[in-house]
Amino acid sequence: MNFKKSLLFCLAVAISSQANAHSRWLLPSHFSLSSEQGEWIALDATASNEVFNVDKALSIDALSILTPSGKSVRPSSTYKAHRKSVADYFVKDNGTYKITNNASASYFSSYKVADKSHRARVNKMELKAHAPANATELKTMYGLTRVETYITMNNPTENYGLEGNFLELHPKTHPSEIVEKEPATFAFTYHGKAQAGVEVEIMRDAGRYRNNPETLKLTTNNDGEITFTPAQAGRYLLIAEYQQDAKNKALADKEQGGIFLTFEAQLQ
Amino acid sequence: MNSYFSRQTTAIVLLALTILLLLMPIASYATSSPATLDIKLSLKQQQGEYHPPYVAAWIENQQKKPVRTLLLWRKEAKWLKDIRRWWRNVGRKDPVLVDAITSATHAAGNFPLSFLALDDKEQPLAQGDYTLYIEVVREKGGRALLKQPFKINNEKQQFTLKATSETNAITFTINPTQLP
Repeated sequence: MNFKKSLLFCLAVAISSQANAHSRWLLPSHFSLSSEQGEWIALDATASNEVFNVDKALSIDALSILTPSGKSVRPSSTYKAHRKSVADYFVKDNGTYKITNNASASYFSSYKVADKSHRARVNKMELKAHAPANATELKTMYGLTRVETYITMNNPTENYGLEGNFLELHPKTHPSEIVEKEPATFAFTYHGKAQAGVEVEIMRDAGRYRNNPETLKLTTNNDGEITFTPAQAGRYLLIAEYQQDAKNKALADKEQGGIFLTFEAQLQ
Repeated sequence: MNSYFSRQTTAIVLLALTILLLLMPIASYATSSPATLDIKLSLKQQQGEYHPPYVAAWIENQQKKPVRTLLLWRKEAKWLKDIRRWWRNVGRKDPVLVDAITSATHAAGNFPLSFLALDDKEQPLAQGDYTLYIEVVREKGGRALLKQPFKINNEKQQFTLKATSETNAITFTINPTQLP
């Protein structure tokens, strides 16, 4: 039970705020495949602030693969090491697959007791009972963070599996058609509606070997869109975040959606 | 009555067909006979471990839409994705075409090639602006993407595509239709 509690706590910490938590990402061995009989892919999952060097294994209990026919399936095998989790999957059908490692929406609270920060995975009402009487700076956030990537076998399809809640990324440029030196557009919705003011960062692979991380910082326009031009081919991590006042003020102060999307920009 | 009618119909049809047949060669020479595209492809000799390159040559129109794949030298399907631009813009969208034009890879050397300026449906390319692409990719080796804009416009054009790490200089000639 203690172990389970600590797991939940870790999850809550991860959900709480991307500004303070590690980045989380999935990294497939291939984004684009050609085959007549199908091909294996391997997928790394980690919480790491270095793109794309692994750091802390991410639990992939929630890993789900949305096949081109719209079925959600599990990987054929998984392995959890210290620095990363690995999943194996045989990609058979033509089309685009969406791979996600999303928790469900949850509450996360924090408070201070004598300058020491505490965290709890409870809503605002539960927090009153949970926190000691002398606790200060009681805050509750309700949110969902998505960790996702797309891979394509042969011909791409628009298999984006959108749910209409919290923050979501709609690829206007198909993930398998992002090309260096060519503009690409993503649209963002919050609870299904185009959302202006979403803060987006796009980081290129191998920051470890550069003095300048060359992070692109963008904010969505009134149509909820960003357009960017990858300067060079390679793998990228996109981090998007949006916060607003909670709908139900009794249960949370703020609510938040986050996205970690891994994609590749191909050679021209 | 019946047989008379059918005899008359047959005669009319035959006459119409004869006229059409007489007119057709003239019509096609005048408007739609395709130009010839000559490509002197030259794959560079390489040092060390050598895998013959995968090669695709194709034509895109002004809207960057592929209209014709001229050649595809390849191995198993799993390597097709490595011919990056051709695979992204052409190959993965048309498996029937891929099967139809496929042939085996070739080692370094000179390959004088000649094509009629037809689209993938074997219709002559309309007059206008096009771009020839040649993509050369070696396993455990380099990649080169060559581009040459050209026109289909009844005029002869000749281009020399500069040598790359994968190719020697390549000449590309557009020979327009010889009018009678």
